[in-house]
Amino acid sequence: MENQPMLKVTNLTKKFGNLVAVNNASMEVYPGEIVGLIGPNGAGKTTLFNAITGLYKPENGKVVFKGVNITGFLPHKICKLGMSRTFQVTRAFLHMTVEDTVRVGAYNRRNEKNVLAKVDEIIELCELGDIRTRVCGDLGLAQLRKVELARALATEPEMLLLDEAGAGLNATELSAFMTLLQSLNKDYHITFCVVEHVMQMVMGICQRIVVLDSGELIASGTPSEISHNQRVIEAYLGKRAVNYVN
Amino acid sequence: MIETATQSVITGTMMGIIYALIALGLSIIFGVMNVVNFAHGDFVMLAMYLSFTVGTLFAWDAVITPVITVPLLFVFGLITYYLLIDRTLRQMYVVQLAVTVGLQILMRSAALIIWQAQPRALQYSFIQGNIEIGPYSILTSRLVGAVVSLIFIGGIAYFLNKTWSGKAMRAASDDLDVASLMGVNYHRTYALTFAIGAALTAVAGGLLMSFQQTDPQGGVRFGLLSWCVLALAGLGSLPGLIVSGIIVGIAETFAISFIDPRARLLAVYAIFILVLWLRPRGLFGRK
Ligand SMILES: Nc1ncnc2c1ncn2[C@@H]1O[C@H](COP(=O)(O)OP(=O)(O)OP(=O)(O)O)[C@@H](O)[C@H]1O
Ligand SMILES: [Mg+2]
Repeated sequence: MENQPMLKVTNLTKKFGNLVAVNNASMEVYPGEIVGLIGPNGAGKTTLFNAITGLYKPENGKVVFKGVNITGFLPHKICKLGMSRTFQVTRAFLHMTVEDTVRVGAYNRRNEKNVLAKVDEIIELCELGDIRTRVCGDLGLAQLRKVELARALATEPEMLLLDEAGAGLNATELSAFMTLLQSLNKDYHITFCVVEHVMQMVMGICQRIVVLDSGELIASGTPSEISHNQRVIEAYLGKRAVNYVN
Repeated sequence: MIETATQSVITGTMMGIIYALIALGLSIIFGVMNVVNFAHGDFVMLAMYLSFTVGTLFAWDAVITPVITVPLLFVFGLITYYLLIDRTLRQMYVVQLAVTVGLQILMRSAALIIWQAQPRALQYSFIQGNIEIGPYSILTSRLVGAVVSLIFIGGIAYFLNKTWSGKAMRAASDDLDVASLMGVNYHRTYALTFAIGAALTAVAGGLLMSFQQTDPQGGVRFGLLSWCVLALAGLGSLPGLIVSGIIVGIAETFAISFIDPRARLLAVYAIFILVLWLRPRGLFGRK
């Protein structure tokens, strides 16, 4: 048998009233890949993530993860199967400490006896040692993004969906972040699907890119294929991005 | 005058700590699930009746009855959650309201049928009597009630802060969707929250039955008391809940000593309305 996709979305449609946020979208992510999901504002990227992770029930279509049809599953079941995510607009547990937040994630696979080892490991990996005992409500945006990543990693996912995790990072932070993702991909064998507006990051780490526009999938290919795709350039890539690629 | 006031403060403090224990159940249900349980006072009423029945049946002292009534109320909480609350979580607010108000009426009617309309009380408790300190006296039953309540409030604090289920409850309270995406089973977490809220009324019920009687309308009083304590405390602070319970307890005893025993609920109401008016998030509440 050929390599099976880890995630397979088929003909997924999600509407809000009359608005079709995701329209008949199909995509696949294979084990070990880092796939970029891009598209202009309002294209439906976040909505697609919400439908995949069980926050939204799609009107139509199917989501298969590791061979299991997870369409309509409750989020915690999907998490148990090995998928986790971060959020475009950070959603921290504002009244909990960083350590407790990571711990909540870590309980996904662990019990009281071995949870702390995982928490320590993730806190070190994400460089959260300094703010370990701080309450999330007191943290800044960059720190919250790190905490969200740590919380998701603590669930020990096989697949991680990142929604604009690179937004707002400066050049140094961005390259550190890209290095971290690549090492997570290699050493922790985590498959990624990342929504990203930062072209430097998309082009830098994604092996494959999927383009969404007005809820529809308009292209899929390698970064260089995508950056030369006429339809994508028209629909999405602004002048700056085109300049960057060339 | 001064003596009466001091005595009221002593008695009120101890009653207030028991009220804090009752309000704690309401507080975690509201704080974690965002469910307004209008039947909470009637859980206390039911717990007191069950305490009466268990105490009569086994010839037990009231303060021992929670050994049986706590598991009973816990299971009753679970059943209520899965049968009623779970189905209305994603519904409009009025639906939730209707369901818990309906539950309240159901519980009162059931109590009327099972235990009839007359008040019920247990035999004198072995913790009857009082401790004299100068001109003041502390009723042993109130003292035991306050101490046991403090122990249980502390136990809940430990549970919320140190255990897996407690952390899951706090995470769900902050952001249910995210907690769920991080692997927290919210049906299970909510069921546990509701059951614990109910079980706490059983502890309070046993303590109250050591010096009080109960009747089918008793829920009105405890419902109001716990809402008042919660409004005063706000959400999220257990020490705040205790202090608020004490304030309400003292206000109640002052009304009894200086106005009229029938004015006790009036004082509670007055505090309730003042707080909602002047400081809706309570004295100690988080945003
Ligand atoms: N909960 C909601 N209710 C109603 N409409 C929504 C909701 N969420 C998203 N939409 C709409 O669906 C469309 C897709 O939104 P979505 O957030 O998925 O876009 P996006 O690709 O993530 O955009 P961005 O790059 O700005 O994050 C938009 O038109 C948005 O206004
Ligand atoms: Mg988005």
